[in-house]
Amino acid sequence: MGAALDNSIFTADWASAKWIWWLGLYLILGIFVPWTMTRTWAHQHGSKIRPTLRQLFQRGELGLAALVLAISVMWDLQNSQYAPQTLAVGSVILALSGIMAGAVWIEGHCRHSAGVEIDPKRVWRDSRNLAFLILSIAGVAEILLDRFTKAMRP
Amino acid sequence: MSAPAPVLVPARYRVVKIRLADPAAAAAYLSLVFGVLLVCLPVSFPHMIVKSWENGRLVPAMIFLAALLNGLIYLRAAHLRSAKPGLLTSAWLGALTVGIVVGFSFLLDAAILHEQSKLIPNSQALVNEEIVAHTYWGLISGIFLPYLVIRFTQNLNFRAQAD
Repeated sequence: MGAALDNSIFTADWASAKWIWWLGLYLILGIFVPWTMTRTWAHQHGSKIRPTLRQLFQRGELGLAALVLAISVMWDLQNSQYAPQTLAVGSVILALSGIMAGAVWIEGHCRHSAGVEIDPKRVWRDSRNLAFLILSIAGVAEILLDRFTKAMRP
Repeated sequence: MSAPAPVLVPARYRVVKIRLADPAAAAAYLSLVFGVLLVCLPVSFPHMIVKSWENGRLVPAMIFLAALLNGLIYLRAAHLRSAKPGLLTSAWLGALTVGIVVGFSFLLDAAILHEQSKLIPNSQALVNEEIVAHTYWGLISGIFLPYLVIRFTQNLNFRAQAD
């Protein structure tokens, strides 16, 4: 650490920011592309529907997308050289938050299928916040993995 | 004719029903701040964390931060749902927060021993990275996991009352 501190302390590590692009791919392919496809479908079929992101993911589908992201970060963590305790802690937190995000979609689906009253606003808020949490954790986890890989080099 | 005396019915307060969206948003913002600090101050921010750990101030600081955020989240949830914060839930929330952060410090000790046992020249750099990673996971868990436990406890209670 001492040797590292001899370098400029306040220099930003923009190489770590490359994970923004990686997360952006998830956002583009998982959220923006499906939304664009609804617009394309409406245009092709002459329909006047113009669903917003909120309407498109109103049953908690965002939670399902977040679960997929959590799984991919867990896989990256498992392939790293961190101590087993760190791997376990990170994986458990990602798994729990991913499961809870997926559960929002499951609950919404079950309520809809069983004809039980469902509050779309609440489902949207829950899935959006949990997806935001997982997206944020995924970004930081990848930055931490990047730092650890660099520290491993002699 | 005088007005009838008001019936003295004990006031009933609604329990604060916890939803995971509340702590999730707070934990996400905290995580975002942590990530931005790691990118913008890649040396000084981790150095500050490592120094705090060496001085024995890291765990108390994490407990303080997590407990403060959890308290604010709980009070905000109570305000939004027009419910009164319960003493039992508050105590349970505090105990869980402290327990989780302290538990993480034990795991960190084990992780440090593991890195030191590797006997490689730059093991100190790895130990520092472990400290930074555990600080992050400890903070996120200290906010998210207590609410997860409370949510499950409340679900079980409501189900038991319904039965």
